[in-house]
Amino acid sequence: MASTNTKPKTKPSLQTSELKAILSNNAIYMVLLILFLTIGILNKNFLSLSNIGNILRISSVRMIIALGVSGALITRGTDLSAGRVVALTACISASLLQRPDYAYKIYENLPNLPIILPILLAILIGTIIGIINGSIVAYLKVPAFIATLGMQVIVYGFACIYTNAQPIGGLRDDFTNLASGSIFLIPNLVLIAAIIVAVIWFMYNHTQFGKYIYAIGGNPSAAEVSGVKVEPTLVKVYALAGGLYGLAGALLAARTGGATNNYGLMYELDAIAACTIGGVSTSGGIGRVSGIITGVLIFEVLSNGLVILGVSAYWQQVIKGIIIITAVAFDIRKYFAKR
Amino acid sequence: MKKTISIILMSVLLISLLAGCGGGGQPAEGDNKQAEGGDKAGSEIKIGLCLYKFDDTFISTVRQAIEKDAAEKSKATGDKITINAVDGQGQQATQNDQVDTFITQGYDIIDVNMVDRTAASVIIDKAKKADIPIVFFNREPVPEDMDKWDKLYYVGAKAEESGTMQGSIAVEYWKNHPEADKNGDGIMQYVMLEGEPGHQDAILRTEYSIKAVEEAGIKTEKLASDTGNWQRAQGQEKMAAWLSAFGDKIEVVFANNDDMALGAIEALKAAGYFQGDKYMPVIGVDATAPALDALADGKLLGTVLNDAKGQGNAILEISYALAKGKDPELEGLTDGKYCWVPYQPVTKENMDQFR
Repeated sequence: MASTNTKPKTKPSLQTSELKAILSNNAIYMVLLILFLTIGILNKNFLSLSNIGNILRISSVRMIIALGVSGALITRGTDLSAGRVVALTACISASLLQRPDYAYKIYENLPNLPIILPILLAILIGTIIGIINGSIVAYLKVPAFIATLGMQVIVYGFACIYTNAQPIGGLRDDFTNLASGSIFLIPNLVLIAAIIVAVIWFMYNHTQFGKYIYAIGGNPSAAEVSGVKVEPTLVKVYALAGGLYGLAGALLAARTGGATNNYGLMYELDAIAACTIGGVSTSGGIGRVSGIITGVLIFEVLSNGLVILGVSAYWQQVIKGIIIITAVAFDIRKYFAKR
Repeated sequence: MKKTISIILMSVLLISLLAGCGGGGQPAEGDNKQAEGGDKAGSEIKIGLCLYKFDDTFISTVRQAIEKDAAEKSKATGDKITINAVDGQGQQATQNDQVDTFITQGYDIIDVNMVDRTAASVIIDKAKKADIPIVFFNREPVPEDMDKWDKLYYVGAKAEESGTMQGSIAVEYWKNHPEADKNGDGIMQYVMLEGEPGHQDAILRTEYSIKAVEEAGIKTEKLASDTGNWQRAQGQEKMAAWLSAFGDKIEVVFANNDDMALGAIEALKAAGYFQGDKYMPVIGVDATAPALDALADGKLLGTVLNDAKGQGNAILEISYALAKGKDPELEGLTDGKYCWVPYQPVTKENMDQFR
């Protein structure tokens, strides 16, 4: 805390400096709250239960992707393949879950698979792509930016080959219900995202893997010297990320009731931006799950809110950019205070 | 040094391997046999196909139509027609480089689907110098550019026509279903899902769909309009937000393409539409397979077929004639260089002929 480092002068100024510390430490939560209330005051429909449900459902998929990218960011890397992996896995899971009576099925005589199988397959394919990403970064020492950019292009190619650039539709109702349904008023997608959040939070905070990734992000050579297995940890980070993209891809297909090879376009940048807003440092070592959740919510509240307010599509871009920069500028102050 | 050489060798090997199985894009089926048979008849015709982006559903369908027609033409005439399709990745600079490559490789014809339709003059100048005719398609270069040389052609549809047809589908529904006017004010309250900003089709479809409704004597009111970038997920997200903002005030949903229309339908389904008598007319463009399915299902009111097969066929016919040194005397060639392939409205009643 800033106040403990500086000598207290007088009583009232101590209080203001404490207040300042609280504000700057929680700046992003404030930003989210202010956005939420402002949009809600301007248009009360924004605060309706169904709309909040919409925002949460859309955020769920984005959150899973952002959590995947966060591991790469914390270990001083990045993962640009995220969006295209989402597209490929969305197409694959969709193609395996088409209605038997749909006239344009990809696989003519496909038996009625239990929906969990294609979802697991999507996760598996994502994980394999992640393992390849991680190995290239960890063992071949290719900068993550380039390695995952290359993978982005490759995966996009495979998505085109797989779909022949035709949209996949006619998904089974039990699959789409997975995304539209809810248990005790909580949307299924939100439940799934909550489970993922809990698992990742546990991993980052209470496992050796978590300690390793922060150590690598803080100082890779120091981590290596103190016995952190840097390479295998990196492979695991990207593998985990890939698996999460695979899950997100399957869920996105279920939510939209279809898939095309242009799904997930630019999702990686949205995810990286959301992580950064949430306080994940792109120079590594810093980042909390709660911050990532907030970052994603700020993004989606803004996207949904601007549409509801009827802001023109072009101005939406301008406003989004400004809020991203402002949020990070506010948030970054707490690190200065700590130093 | 050794390392460099081995890397070069590796990449050469890899590229030749890939070229071997790819065969320069899509070697037309059937012409392999001809080649094995020892070039009995016919000459080799190389066509370079520049696409603005590979992940555009419609453009991919055009490409497949061209490739299929090329295979059939090869079989029928004994000429070996190869189509090499390249991805402009949505960047004009990339596409210019690809055209350069085709020119240096001595392709007979280049078919170009411009990334930026106003940037055609550079490509035209290069092709003119090399005397390689160009068939543009889907995105129409400006008239001044088209007048630069007499070996330029354009195949496409009139985008305004697709908008007009969307409007007519809405008008017909509106007139036959008095309950469509939910608030009974005689005005059609609509929302519009637009394609990529600046795309010619997006602008014209948005404009002419509403124009057609107004010309039929129905007043309209735009509740909201936003870009969904042609994408299903974005169509769904925007529609969900509009339903929160306007709810039952929305009477008609127009989408510049089917993917976004289907996304909107998913959002409507989630909000309880298409159950019982809760209905919303949604109109798209493209007549994709999932869209036809939604038509049959009664969830999509109508779509407009942008005749990809017709366009692909026209592109190949013109290219083939030019490669043979003939004047492409296709029926309905306007001004000797424009080939307009008509759109077709598709609704549940007539959809069977488009399956």
